[in-house]
Amino acid sequence: MLYRRKVIDRVSTIWMIVSISIIVLLPVIIGIGLYIKASPLLEIKSLGQLLGSTIWLPNEKEFGFLPFILGSLYVTLISFCLAVPVCLLSAIYLTQFAPKQFMNFMHPVIDILAGLPSVIYGVWGVIVIVPFISNHVAPFFGVKSSGYTILAGGIVLAIMCIPYILNMLIEVFNTIPTGLKEASLSLGATFWEMVKHVVIRRGGAGIISAFGLGIAKAFGETMAVMMVVGNMVQIKFSLFDAGYPLPALIANNYGEMLSIPMYDSALMFAALLLFVIILLINLIFRYFIYKTKSNE
Amino acid sequence: MKRIKIIALALIAAILASSCASKSSKENTVSISGAFAIYPLVVKWAEEYKKEHPTVRFNISGGGAGKGMADALAGAVDLGMFSREITQVEKDQGVWWVGLTVDAVVPTISSKNPFLDSLKKRGLTRSEFKAIFIDKTIVTWNQLLGGANNDEISVYTRSDACGAAGTWALYLGGKQENLNGIGIFGDPGLSETVGKDPLGIAYNNTIFAYNLKTGRKLEGIEIIPIDINENGKIDLEENFYDSFNSILQAIGSGVYPAPPARELYFVANGKPQKEAVLNFIEWTLTKGQGYVKAAGYVPIDQSKIDSYLAKLKVQ
Repeated sequence: MLYRRKVIDRVSTIWMIVSISIIVLLPVIIGIGLYIKASPLLEIKSLGQLLGSTIWLPNEKEFGFLPFILGSLYVTLISFCLAVPVCLLSAIYLTQFAPKQFMNFMHPVIDILAGLPSVIYGVWGVIVIVPFISNHVAPFFGVKSSGYTILAGGIVLAIMCIPYILNMLIEVFNTIPTGLKEASLSLGATFWEMVKHVVIRRGGAGIISAFGLGIAKAFGETMAVMMVVGNMVQIKFSLFDAGYPLPALIANNYGEMLSIPMYDSALMFAALLLFVIILLINLIFRYFIYKTKSNE
Repeated sequence: MKRIKIIALALIAAILASSCASKSSKENTVSISGAFAIYPLVVKWAEEYKKEHPTVRFNISGGGAGKGMADALAGAVDLGMFSREITQVEKDQGVWWVGLTVDAVVPTISSKNPFLDSLKKRGLTRSEFKAIFIDKTIVTWNQLLGGANNDEISVYTRSDACGAAGTWALYLGGKQENLNGIGIFGDPGLSETVGKDPLGIAYNNTIFAYNLKTGRKLEGIEIIPIDINENGKIDLEENFYDSFNSILQAIGSGVYPAPPARELYFVANGKPQKEAVLNFIEWTLTKGQGYVKAAGYVPIDQSKIDSYLAKLKVQ
């Protein structure tokens, strides 16, 4: 009997180790696979040429990834600037100020927003955001624009990321012990001072990681952005110009992969770039989390 | 607990049974993906074919010519729908094809375009289109039409790899990557966008520029006549854009230049092996041709059909 229990114990431990090693190995395997597929391109062009050039003419073997990298960064940055204040403030209100019933009402709303497929956000962006930018926002700034712009991509992306970031922030703020908050209030702090000095301070690491995951998600989002961002290969840093993010490059041109020489390696290299950039974003945010935790 | 076990067992049995069944029906399934240009016709064909052969199943999806070619070469589908010239690189990869029908890409603008009347009288030549779409030497409407109004032309193109863009670019002497303009995903999206922008210009497959039911142009869309003989005005024989029938006639008789008129194909990775697929292709080239005109396409020459049928017979 004892023997049987020991065997079961051993077997279940092995299962757990196997599943965790799959998870640990997965990014490594994906990275290696992408590198192998992209290596033919790296043989004919140096990394500097690929990352520094702005000319994209695959039929003439010109593969410049700079417009796509900058396009991705720019759209993500805008969405981040739009999403962060909204998320932070509404998370604080929901967890610290709002009545419990309101929170119960908001939970399903956030879950629905998070669960909507990205193509719905894309269509909505084309129908609502794009005409709004071309008819109202751009004329307000005295610019003519079709509406298919980096700004449209940023707005749609921000709206898509808000439920994710918000959900994580709510979890973070809910873990802050009531005792700490009460202690600061009993010392005469106002409610806002309590939020500023206790809730945000104490939740710092969690807030940063919520934003980090939000950015990583925004960076890789494809369909919705592709539908509104204009997909033009150019480097312009105006909100009212079209851009071309990396994921859109892969999705749009997947079809030409077998029709143009080196094109499949080029797209795999784009995927590798995306992979590396998201890895870097995660590392940077890990570092910030580590810093804030060690400061506490 | 026992009940759960029984349900679980029943589920497993059901899954196993269904997977066995799908194995035999797999031989009878024809999966197709690719060009938007020919998608409506293939759907129509599948409907009619199913009436005659109820056991055959179809799995048809759009996604653009590029996707059709990539899927077919990767073996993800039995047949890819393809709507531009097949390049040497693709032929080197062992692509097998048959032509099915002919249609065209037409230059489109919004019906709200302020210069519509003069554009319709004057038309645009191939080199003017090239200057707008590729060289960017014409950027305002008054460079074309004169006048003091400095309105810029907003150029739209397809963002996805597709036959319409490939064919339009070929007409202008380039590749899809040479076409400038804001990239919109999909043919329906492009006609929607250009219809809304009074200063916009784009190109569409004929079936996305006309309403098949009424035979008129889609609401909000107008077509820029091509000044084929480049004499600076649209002559009577160059003016065939009013109804769907008249433009199909012009494509069929060769008055409308090719490209932008082009053949539409089924492509596959080598000659298909499946009996059901071969039968379906043969049917589309014989009986299926009877539905081509009604669906809004131009039939291909009988001599070409014969050569494609011969291709099917070759071992």
